[in-house]
Amino acid sequence: MHSYALRVNTAVTLAIMVLAVLCSFVSLSDHFHASSPHVHLEVLSIDAFQRQKAGNDEVWLTLNISADFSSVFSWNTKQLFIFVAAEYVTPKNVVNQVSLWDAILVSKNHAKFSIKTRNKYSFVDQGNNLRGSDFNLTMYWHVMPLTGAMYTEKQVFSGFRLPTE
Amino acid sequence: MNWEGQKLAEQLMQYLFLASALISFFTGYFFTSFRLMLLIYASGALLTTLITVPDWPFYNRRPLQWLDPKAAEASSSRIIKAAKVQAPKKASKSVKK
Repeated sequence: MHSYALRVNTAVTLAIMVLAVLCSFVSLSDHFHASSPHVHLEVLSIDAFQRQKAGNDEVWLTLNISADFSSVFSWNTKQLFIFVAAEYVTPKNVVNQVSLWDAILVSKNHAKFSIKTRNKYSFVDQGNNLRGSDFNLTMYWHVMPLTGAMYTEKQVFSGFRLPTE
Repeated sequence: MNWEGQKLAEQLMQYLFLASALISFFTGYFFTSFRLMLLIYASGALLTTLITVPDWPFYNRRPLQWLDPKAAEASSSRIIKAAKVQAPKKASKSVKK
């Protein structure tokens, strides 16, 4: 501490170290943040059901997505990545997930919405197992914090059935 | 900056960083603004740097009491003569203090 250079060095080192500890405390404070988002998913209509040239089933449907994610935002939340996935079971694969729609919510003010939309990404099976099968729609939300680890939560809506033809 | 000043500067630096971290954390949490927390911490760090890095006069309040210089035993007779002349004066001064 006898020279300017040494004092500057100590100050910078200490400042960065304290900042790191500060950020870890901010990340820790997220554990005390309770969130209760409201999500509602429904299938309004099955618009098309076709077999692709390769032999895979493809479905086009219209979804009603209404959600309020504003309670998920804490002081340490940068943005949310949300997506709706169709999940079903086939004889070949136990887990099948197809992402149908996604969005990025950048602020609390835009976290409440209700939209009717055709699926953004095509709902295609690896084969032709979709006819007459049951499927779930699941809303996933990845929470991206400013500091700390990312985490994912989900809400499952079950009991949807595709037509047989 | 003397020994006491260096000790003071180091302790002041540690306490000021800790204080600005605590103040910024609770203010940011209260106002739910990460940006506010960073701004307060940055200004606290700047203030701490301004207080502890320059050699301010209050770091030199208690200067070191150096011992009086002693003449080295030198081979040159001229230096010995000079030491003989100066030594009594210096000795009397230090006694008065």
